[in-house]
Amino acid sequence: MDIELIEIRDFLKVHHPFDLLPEEALETLPTTIEVRYARRGTVMFEPGDDNKFLWVVRTGAVETLDPDGNLLARLSEGECFGVRAILRGGVAVNRCEAIEDSLLYLLPVAEFDRLRKEYPQFAYFFAPMGGDRLRSAREHAEASTEDAIGLMSTKLSDMLKRDPVTIAPDVTIQQAAKAMSEKGVSCLLVTENEKLSGIVTDKDLRKRVVAEGLAYDTRLSQIMTFDPIHIDADEYLFDALLVMSRNNIRHLPVLDGEKVAGVVTTTNIVQKQTTSMVYLVGDIYKRNTVAGLKDVVKQVPNMVMNLVDGGATAHNIGHVVSTVTDAIATRLIQMAEEKLGPAPVPFAWIVVGSEARHEQTAISDQDNGLILDDTYDEAQHGDYFRELAKFVSDGLNECGYVYCPGDVMATNDKWRQPLVGWKNYFAKWIDAPEPEALMLSSIFFDMRSIYGDERLYAELRDFVLKKSTGNRIFLSFMAGNALTHQPPLGFFKNFVLIRGGEHDHTFDLKHNGVVPIIDLARTYSLDAGLTEVNTKDRLKAAVEKKIISKDGSDDLLDALEFISITRLRHQAQQIRNGEKADNFMAPENMSHFERNHLKDAFNVVKTMQSALATAYT
Amino acid sequence: MWKRMFGPDLRREWYLIKMPEGPMKQYYRKPIPWPETDYRELEYLCIDLELTGLNPETDEILSVGFAPIVDQNVILSESAHYLVRPSGELPEDSVVVHGLTDDRLAEAEPLEDVLPHVLMALSGRVLFAHHAPIELGFLNVACERIYGYPLLTRAVDTLELEKRNRQQRNQPLDGGVLRLAKARESYNLPRYRAHNALVDAVASGELFLAQAAHKTAKGEKITLRELMFRNR
Repeated sequence: MDIELIEIRDFLKVHHPFDLLPEEALETLPTTIEVRYARRGTVMFEPGDDNKFLWVVRTGAVETLDPDGNLLARLSEGECFGVRAILRGGVAVNRCEAIEDSLLYLLPVAEFDRLRKEYPQFAYFFAPMGGDRLRSAREHAEASTEDAIGLMSTKLSDMLKRDPVTIAPDVTIQQAAKAMSEKGVSCLLVTENEKLSGIVTDKDLRKRVVAEGLAYDTRLSQIMTFDPIHIDADEYLFDALLVMSRNNIRHLPVLDGEKVAGVVTTTNIVQKQTTSMVYLVGDIYKRNTVAGLKDVVKQVPNMVMNLVDGGATAHNIGHVVSTVTDAIATRLIQMAEEKLGPAPVPFAWIVVGSEARHEQTAISDQDNGLILDDTYDEAQHGDYFRELAKFVSDGLNECGYVYCPGDVMATNDKWRQPLVGWKNYFAKWIDAPEPEALMLSSIFFDMRSIYGDERLYAELRDFVLKKSTGNRIFLSFMAGNALTHQPPLGFFKNFVLIRGGEHDHTFDLKHNGVVPIIDLARTYSLDAGLTEVNTKDRLKAAVEKKIISKDGSDDLLDALEFISITRLRHQAQQIRNGEKADNFMAPENMSHFERNHLKDAFNVVKTMQSALATAYT
Repeated sequence: MWKRMFGPDLRREWYLIKMPEGPMKQYYRKPIPWPETDYRELEYLCIDLELTGLNPETDEILSVGFAPIVDQNVILSESAHYLVRPSGELPEDSVVVHGLTDDRLAEAEPLEDVLPHVLMALSGRVLFAHHAPIELGFLNVACERIYGYPLLTRAVDTLELEKRNRQQRNQPLDGGVLRLAKARESYNLPRYRAHNALVDAVASGELFLAQAAHKTAKGEKITLRELMFRNR
C-alpha cells in the first residue's frame, strides 16, 4: 500500500535532508505524515505555542519571525521548520506564518525522533541549527583524519599521562640521580612549595656533575637550571615542539596555572610522530643568509597543502604559518644585530594584522613596525634603527613577504616610533575615530611583539586597552566599522553573488566570510580590554568577560573554522590545478552539504552582527 | 417513496433496528454527520475509485483509495489503497487509463472483502470526492448488492464546490478549470503526476482543505450544509 503515496515519497526524496534517508525509510515515511493547507497569513504557531511536528513546505512559502518581529528565515518548497521548537521540548520560540497559500507536510515528533535515532546522517542535519550543526560537521571531518595530525590536535593536558616526577632543591645530586633511575625518567622537575623552581636533566648530570668532577653530596640547587622555559597545559603538542626547537631544549615543563602538570620530552613527540613542518622552524634558526631563509619559505605552500589534506584545522594552520613567518623575521633581526651590533636602546619588533593574530594561511605581504624605548634620540640612534628596519624588511621581501602596499612597515618613519609616539597615535585614533583612524585602528589593534623588549609592547597595549575599554563612543564607531563587511546571504537565505567581472557568480570567502568574524572579535576584545589577539582566543575570552554568550561565541568559532577551512581547501585545490589561489568561491562548485553548512555559518555571522549593531550602535 | 419523506438520519435508526450484524450495521452505529454542524468539527473521508466505466449497474470497481481528514489535516497514517478483483475480464480501454492489469487484479481481494474496510473508515464521517456522484453511486450499488441496504451518508463534492465558488465570484467555468488538477493549481497546490485511487483521494482532500480555508477567511461559522453536495 505504501508505494501508492509515491508523490509524497518522490518529493521528500529530492529534498535535503530527506535525501539522506535510505529507500526503505522513504517508502514508509509518507504514511506517517499529515497534510495541512495554510492560506496566506495563517499563523502556524507563535512563541509559547505547542509544536508537535516537523513542518515541510510542499508548496508556497513560510516566514519565521523572532518575538521582536525580525525576519529569521523565509522558507520555500522543500524546506523544514519547527525544528527549534521540537528540540526545545515542543515549545515554539518563533512565529511561523504562511506568506503564500501553502501546502504543508507535518511529520509527527515521534516519527521525527525515530528517524533521527536510526539515521545519524539525518539527525545531524537537525543538530541544534547553526553552531552545533557546524560543530558536529567539523568533528566528523576531524575524527576521520585524527592520526595524521596528532601534533596539531593533541592538547598537552590530554597527553600527559603520568604524574610529574618532582624533587626538592635541597636534596643531594646523588639522591636526585637515584630518583631518576628508580622512576625511569630523564629529567626531574624541582619544586618548592609546589611551584616550579628548576629543572635537571640527565645531560646536566653528565655535563655539570661528572665532567666537572663535583662531589656526590653537592646540593641539587647548585646544578639545576633555574626558572626553566615552560608551557601551559592548554597549549597543543605542536606549540610545545615549536618552543623546544626554537630554544634547542629537549625537556619542556608543562604548567597548569601555577601547578606543575608534567613534562614533554622530544621522545614523547617522536613517539607521537614528527612531521617535517616542525623541523622547518628549527631549520630557520640554523640559516645564516637571506637566501637560506628563502629556501625554507619556499616549502610553506606545500606544507599548507599537506596540512589541509591531512585534516588540520584552519586555526592550527594559521598558527603554523604565522609561526614560520615570526621565525623568519626573528632570524632576520638577529642577523641584522650581528651585522649592526647590539641596539643602542631597547626596542620591540611588532607585527600587525593576520600574522599578529596567528591567522596567516599563506605567504603574504609584510606588516610590521618598531616600538623604541623613550630614551631614543633621533640624532644619535636614528641611523641604527633605519638600517635595522631596512635590513629586515628587504630580507622579508626577498623571502616572499613582499613590501606592504599600504607602507605599514618599520621602514616607514611613521611606524618606527618611540613608545610615546605610539601612545599618541592610539590616543588620537581612539579620541577622534575618523574613517582613516578606524582603518588604522583595525590594523594596529591586532598587534604582537615577536622580538626585543616585550615590556615596550606590553606598556603600549595596556595604555590602549585602558583608553578603549568601555569607551562607548569609540566602540560604537568600531562596531559600525565591523559591520561594513557582510556575509553574502540574501533575504531569502540564498547566496548573494558577485555579478560580472573576473569573479562573476562567486562570493568572497575572505572579505565576506572571515573578515566579519575577525572584526566582531576585535570589537568584543576592545570592549572587554582583552590582551588576546588571536580571534579564537578573543572569542573565548569575551565569554568569560560576559561580553557575549557562550552559545554566541561557540557558534562564531565554528563559523570561523568552517569558513576558513572551506577557503583553505578551495585554495589548495586551485594550487593543485596550477591556478593562482584566491578567495572567490562559486556555489556551484560546492556540494549540497557544503552549501548548507556555509549558509549556516553565514547565518551565525549575520545574527551576531545584528546583535552587535543593537548593543553598540 | 418513503425514502423521500424521511431523512437519512431517521432511516439510519430504522436500519439499526432491523439490520443483521455485519459491516453495514457497524457503519450505521455512528450517526451520520449533522448538516448544521460547523464543518471544522467534522471528520471526513476522501474517497477515490478506479472503475471499468461510469455506470454503477454494469461497471466494476477496480481499486479504492481513501484518506481521512481530522482537524483539517489529511491523516496519511490512516489512508489506505486496495485493489479489487473484478468478476469479469477487464475491458481494454480501462487498462490504458489505470495501468491496472488483469494479472495484478487477479491477486487482489474481491469487493466483499474490501468494502468492510471502506465502511469502517467512513462510519461517522462525511464522504467526499471530486465528482462525488460516481463514488456515491458505485458504493451505494455495492452496499445494496452485498448487504441489501443502501449507503446513507452526507457528502461533499469538491468539483461541485469549486463550481459554486467560481459562480459566486463570477469566474469562468470553461477550459477544464473544474478538473482536479486544474482546480488544485488555482490554490497553489502541487501538480501530481502519478495517478492511482489513493493519490487522487489525497489530492481531492487537499483541494477540499484549500477550498474550505478560502471560504473561511474571516473565521465565521460555516455549516456542513453550506458545503454539502446538494443531491442528497
